[in-house]
Amino acid sequence: MLVEGKNICYSYAFGGFSFALRDVDLNIARGEFVAILGCNGSGKSTLVKHLNALLQLQQGELKVAQIDVRNEKEVWLLRRRCGMVFQNPDHQFVAPVVEEDIAFGLENYEVPRNEISGRVRSALARVEMSGYEKRAPNTLSGGQKQRVALAGVLALDPEIIIFDEATAMLDPDGRQEVIKIMEKLHRAGKTIIAITHYVEEAVAADKIILMHQGRVLACGSPQTVLTNLDLMKEAELIPPFPVRLYYDLQQAGIYLNRCPLTEEELVEEICQFKSKI
Amino acid sequence: MRTLPAGQYLPGHSLLHRLDARAKILCALILMTAVIGASSLWGYTLVLVALLIPILISRLPLRPTVAAVRGMGGFLLVILLMNALFFKGETVLASWGIIQLSHEGIKQGFRIVSNVVLILIIGNLLTMTTLPTQVATALESLIKPLKLIGVPTEEVAMIISVAIQFIPTLMEATELIKMAQIARGARFESKKLSERAVSFLPLVVPVFISAFRRAEELSLAMEARGYRNAKNRTRRQKEPLALHDYAALTFSVLICLIQFLLQR
Repeated sequence: MLVEGKNICYSYAFGGFSFALRDVDLNIARGEFVAILGCNGSGKSTLVKHLNALLQLQQGELKVAQIDVRNEKEVWLLRRRCGMVFQNPDHQFVAPVVEEDIAFGLENYEVPRNEISGRVRSALARVEMSGYEKRAPNTLSGGQKQRVALAGVLALDPEIIIFDEATAMLDPDGRQEVIKIMEKLHRAGKTIIAITHYVEEAVAADKIILMHQGRVLACGSPQTVLTNLDLMKEAELIPPFPVRLYYDLQQAGIYLNRCPLTEEELVEEICQFKSKI
Repeated sequence: MRTLPAGQYLPGHSLLHRLDARAKILCALILMTAVIGASSLWGYTLVLVALLIPILISRLPLRPTVAAVRGMGGFLLVILLMNALFFKGETVLASWGIIQLSHEGIKQGFRIVSNVVLILIIGNLLTMTTLPTQVATALESLIKPLKLIGVPTEEVAMIISVAIQFIPTLMEATELIKMAQIARGARFESKKLSERAVSFLPLVVPVFISAFRRAEELSLAMEARGYRNAKNRTRRQKEPLALHDYAALTFSVLICLIQFLLQR
């Protein structure tokens, strides 16, 4: 397992009674695309901030890429293997020029100067932003900003990439841009951990970890988690449209073969149903 | 694109634009010294003529270059009058109580006004032909000698570069908060200075809060990207100064030297 967590508890008021995380277990395999799904305040952001030790582990155990997150000497190395893209694209740029910002991480790890520009360019190419080297981040669109932020992470070639609600502040186009690259990176073998409260974004994941009030409610494939109405209700989330329609049709006496998750699957199921009549 | 409000950068390809920012800042400082050192009409003429050369080769439109000076007209007039009327000179032309108009006073007034105007023009020439980011990187290397007296120059350089990066987003945030308050009935357009100052107070607190929040998020993002301290990082390669940079420096030093020779 690339990520192994057991009984993780966390309280923002140290020693307090209100816990942001309660007894969370976490297991993520290499190359997996995991969506951590939950409404606001469910603890999903708090949880992933433990993975690269931005928050200190208070209780429980957590190992990421064989590194114990409590080991302060290795935290710095851990962060190279576990990159993170944040929610607000404007709050994560360090330099006023795109290429300098991407170089920031490389400079932190003392990558030799002559290697830097090549790695910056290849990182930009991977997020389809070649040619934007000299631009100022504040002149880019939201989706472009997040892709530049991602390039800054990719330049260090981490094994795990965490998207901490990286699409939440983007318009639909920008969201699609980022999701497309997320899926591309997954196909290339990276371990992707995406935090989101958009159920539609979790559909493409290999595994969904459903969180509510600091607890893990469920952990399983999108098919088992998203189609479970009681579970979704408990998590205060609305299931994807095809799932809702599937159950509405059931109430109207129309039984489809299986519960669809995407619009394509929905169309397919309806066609199959129609051909049976 | 939003840039620094004062002395807005105007893109161009003139020799002045291409000069290394480090050389440009040094030249500006040397020429400013020449301005302050001027004591006679000849001295000011010298600097003025010397400034015509960079103004001409910068190919900047003259109007914005002197716009800042024009905007300060009232302020300059006050300086002139204060000096002319309150300077205790020997050749008194007229006097009313403590107010005394003297030959030396008028001279002193004109001196200070000329100093302010010329220094403003030099500053404008610098900022109009140099990107804020170039100024920042240049400052980074110019402060390096301070390391000898124990200043953590790497950290200061990091702060400068992050601060420059923050300006446009902070301006956007201020605009947003202002609009949110106008939408709820706040008024910022009052003519009275006192009223305007009071109306800006409710703006200050949220802008500061948002700035601190940004700073906190940014520091998290920096840590997540492996920042430990400013020392253990890949060094930036500094390009050596070119021939025209040395020429500009020599020119500035010469002007300054002539100025001090004129003094005697």
